[in-house]
Amino acid sequence: MSHPKTSKVVDARFMEAPEPFVKTMEMLDTLKPGERMLLLLYREPHPLYKVLRQNGHAYESEQLADGTFEILITC
Amino acid sequence: MQALLSFEKAPPLAAPLRFFLTAPLFAMLAGLLLLVEGPALLASRWSPAALAATHLLTLGFMLQIMLGALIQILPVVAGANLERPLGVARLVHLGLTLGTLMLAAGFYFSQPELLLVAVPVLVTTAAVFLWASGRALLGVPSTSPTIRGLKLALPGLAVAVGLGVLLAVALARGLPLALPALVDLHAGWGLGGWAGVLLAAMAYVVVPMFQLTPGYPARPSWYFPPAVLGLLLLWTAGVVLDVSAMQRLAMGGLALAGIVFSGLTLRLQNQRRRARSDATYRYWQLGLAATIFALCMLSTASVWPLLAEFAGWSLFFAVILLVGGFMSFIVGMLYKIVPFLSWLHLQNCGQARVPAPAMNKILSEAAMQRQMLAHGASFALLLAGVLWPDWLARPAGLGFVLANGWLLANLLGAMRNYRRHAAEIAAKLAVL
Repeated sequence: MSHPKTSKVVDARFMEAPEPFVKTMEMLDTLKPGERMLLLLYREPHPLYKVLRQNGHAYESEQLADGTFEILITC
Repeated sequence: MQALLSFEKAPPLAAPLRFFLTAPLFAMLAGLLLLVEGPALLASRWSPAALAATHLLTLGFMLQIMLGALIQILPVVAGANLERPLGVARLVHLGLTLGTLMLAAGFYFSQPELLLVAVPVLVTTAAVFLWASGRALLGVPSTSPTIRGLKLALPGLAVAVGLGVLLAVALARGLPLALPALVDLHAGWGLGGWAGVLLAAMAYVVVPMFQLTPGYPARPSWYFPPAVLGLLLLWTAGVVLDVSAMQRLAMGGLALAGIVFSGLTLRLQNQRRRARSDATYRYWQLGLAATIFALCMLSTASVWPLLAEFAGWSLFFAVILLVGGFMSFIVGMLYKIVPFLSWLHLQNCGQARVPAPAMNKILSEAAMQRQMLAHGASFALLLAGVLWPDWLARPAGLGFVLANGWLLANLLGAMRNYRRHAAEIAAKLAVL
């Protein structure tokens, strides 16, 4: 799945926990420093944010009209 | 990878569990009151036993689980970390348990002095919770409708408690206040401003997460909490200024907001990706149907206030909203939260070397579904009990005791399974 912001997308909107977390960490492992990935979810993943901060990854989130949160993560 | 799933700062399992295991006991006590008192409890919403039972349900069951769950879940849904969560949990649990018992006893035995002892205990408890959670929430920006909702629910609790204090003092000291209008306002802030806003804020996260539905559309979910708060302020102004039309307009507006939220949730549930109808889904379906029915009653009464004067109207409304609505939502969520928290802690016990068992090994779907049928039957019996109290009040009380005893048995069973798996994991780690 591709997206205007990046071709690396995890659409976790209908996944059961902890799959969104696991898939995101797996994709992060494949990225080079500075590359970006997008996570789509219907909530803000605060536990993931914490792990991203601990590992030094930057992220920004934005909510769309349909309730989706787009979380752009920089490796 | 597995290690990253751990939440080092998450409160231990004991923090929320003490609340979850105490709550069914309060519901059983309410059922016991109905069993003992029979039709006398259902004679009027103002009967001492009805006031006692109402507070056993709202404070002893609902608030108990809400506060316990929030202390645990604020870091997960809002990124807000409470300082010393276990200490806060112990204090709040003790204060809420003792305060509720004294308040209910004060009502039941018509002992005003007991009410006046319960008041400072409950006020201190609420203050501890509001201070701890308020500090944690003010430290995070409102980046989602959930965080905004949680922040706006706290003043709802504060005002409901404040009005409760005023009413208890007025009752005990015989102050010349318009009690019925203040009691309705107290219930409005407690059930709408606190419980309703909190439920919506949590639903934005847990309905899509647990039931695999689409998300709540952004605009209505941002507007719902402030709209409820604004309507409650209008209602309060109507009571202070003694303008009945303002009060009725606010009541009708609140009912409409609740119906829109419930209807939206039903629509999302119909679009869920999970084919199986689990206990949580069914509990929520019952809760939503009951809430919509109750709020239709409320909006009708806001147009024709005389309707609410009918014998049994208020109690019928209260049973539908509290037992059919709020209790169904709460138990439905509990049936996801308890297995999930147990799984999370077992995952941490395994230190990424021994896997945690599947969540249905903690609490089986069949056990939850059977208890849910008992809840549904006891709800129907309670409604019939309000209509035919002479025949059915006591059987309804017995049914309510049994349904909540069953809930307690399910939760205790989950704890036994958790301990057994924790011991097995420890044994496996020892030989690795």
